[in-house]
Amino acid sequence: MFKHLFKLIWNKKKQNFLLMTEMLVSFLVLFAVFTLMFYYYDNYKKPMGIKYQDVWVININNSYQTKNTDSLNLYYETLRQTIKALPQVKELSFVSGNTPFSQQINNGGLTFKGKHINGVNNFTTEDGYKDALQVDVLEGRWFNKQDATTKYRSVVIDADLKEATFGNGQAVGKFIGDYDDKNKLRVVGVIQTIKRNGDYVKPGPGIYYRADTGSFRWLSKILVRVSPGADAAFEGKLYKTMANYMKSSNIEIEHLTNKLKDTNYFAVIPMIVLSIVSCFLIINVALGLFGVLWYNINKRRGEIGLRRAIGATGNSVSSQLVTESMILATLSLIIGSFFAIQFPLLNVFDLAAHVYITGMLLAIIFVYLLVLVCSLYPGRQAAAIYPAVALHEE
Amino acid sequence: MIRLQNIEKVYRTDTIETLALNSVSLDVAKGEFLSIMGPSGCGKSTLLNIMGLLDVPSKGSIKIADKATENLNDKQLAQFRNKTLGFIFQSYHLINDLQVLDNVELPLLYRDTTAKERKMLATEALEKVGLANRVKHFPTQLSGGQRQRVAIARAIVGRPDIILADEPTGNLDSAMGNEIMDILINLNRNEGTTIVMVTHDENMAHKTHRLVRLFDGSQVQ
Repeated sequence: MFKHLFKLIWNKKKQNFLLMTEMLVSFLVLFAVFTLMFYYYDNYKKPMGIKYQDVWVININNSYQTKNTDSLNLYYETLRQTIKALPQVKELSFVSGNTPFSQQINNGGLTFKGKHINGVNNFTTEDGYKDALQVDVLEGRWFNKQDATTKYRSVVIDADLKEATFGNGQAVGKFIGDYDDKNKLRVVGVIQTIKRNGDYVKPGPGIYYRADTGSFRWLSKILVRVSPGADAAFEGKLYKTMANYMKSSNIEIEHLTNKLKDTNYFAVIPMIVLSIVSCFLIINVALGLFGVLWYNINKRRGEIGLRRAIGATGNSVSSQLVTESMILATLSLIIGSFFAIQFPLLNVFDLAAHVYITGMLLAIIFVYLLVLVCSLYPGRQAAAIYPAVALHEE
Repeated sequence: MIRLQNIEKVYRTDTIETLALNSVSLDVAKGEFLSIMGPSGCGKSTLLNIMGLLDVPSKGSIKIADKATENLNDKQLAQFRNKTLGFIFQSYHLINDLQVLDNVELPLLYRDTTAKERKMLATEALEKVGLANRVKHFPTQLSGGQRQRVAIARAIVGRPDIILADEPTGNLDSAMGNEIMDILINLNRNEGTTIVMVTHDENMAHKTHRLVRLFDGSQVQ
């Protein structure tokens, strides 16, 4: 029967062309939507890498201008002690501008054993960063005072960079990057990759440097972990304390929780837009498919009557029409899958292959379900056609 | 072979009731070639549809090949039609998107047969109607007479005991009509197939064993 139906479809390829094109376009749009959705979900289920609740970001501009590094250090150390003295402050760390969930980026390439890794995010942090964000350390340790006196500069890398450089092997104690002896970087720890771009977007590999005495000139943010009960009154007090100390500096306090919300919001907008567009498209396709199948049944009443006369049951007529639609869908999906599979093969958009494959499988299942649902009712209508009436009409 | 007893068929709409067949009783013997005649709208096709189990009577009983058909379900009816009955229609009812061979194979698709068997039986049926050289053609590439011969091949491919023909020569000129009639007569004579044919043509009807006339839904001869 399959061969027979395939022959029937093949011989009607001109009539079926538009319907197949419609199914193909639906598949491609659904592939894009599902890939994006699965990409977001895949990132969402990964650990955040930090505990961002009760962490505030204080933006400062470095108002204290001096060429004397000791004076600069003293100025900021005093600021640190002043903030730390506040009862609701648990920990703090001066950091580079690219804090979690901020729009700032500082990235570059890294060459390791001849292999170039693009988009490595560089972070400058202090020893308190680990406790301020409660970073998950997977191997080794976070920075401490000893790192100020080591022969080679200590760095901490995240799990993504470790995978890209050392794979499953040991990273702690090894050098990273193809640098000369003087500039070698020694890995002292590996941390869980921090989802700095929010819940849904892949953060990419990261390398953490320990701030040195000259870093205060450009470290523009302070991460502060506060007690869970810290409220607006405390925020006001913190602001006032800082404003009194840094008289000519603009100070802005943000909460990481809110920043994450904003970041997530901007990430999901394209998905929402795409989903709305695809919803309209799916409704359009469903109605089109339904209409075409309905039209086909009316056009083929004579054939349906004949089939009933020569031995087809109502159910077999119904399942024939559904199967024909499914064969058409299969042909469209084969063509669509050929295009879709190029994305992981050619590594378009740098997404993992399993994200594309899952998107493709979900799109295939959805198209089949859509076609099945749209053809069931017309199929049942066909089964209800009275053969004597249908044959007489012809 | 076919026994119709007190068949009555009423078509009902919201406002009117039309009596299409009024207490028709008919016996068709095995191997008989029977023709049914009557003016348009007298119930000939309705009677044929009821005989072919394509329609159900409002009253009366039908027995085909000693089998009562009233209580058969959709599946049993379909199987019965497939194995026992062959249909020929005035407008051929060929599927234009299928080649001649595929059209002839159609009834066998609803049976447990292999592709090889189907091809063999269909080729054999086409040889009987003289169209073995047209297997790859599409119906639209054939003349009316050839199309009807394809329809006959499709009707006989499953080797049914009974063929029901609804004005098989109605759309053909007399020469073509005679050709088709000869094929049906040969089938009846050589294979012993029981044939019931509805026709408007007296000449064709006189070539059959028996003629039944209907008028306003009742049997008058």
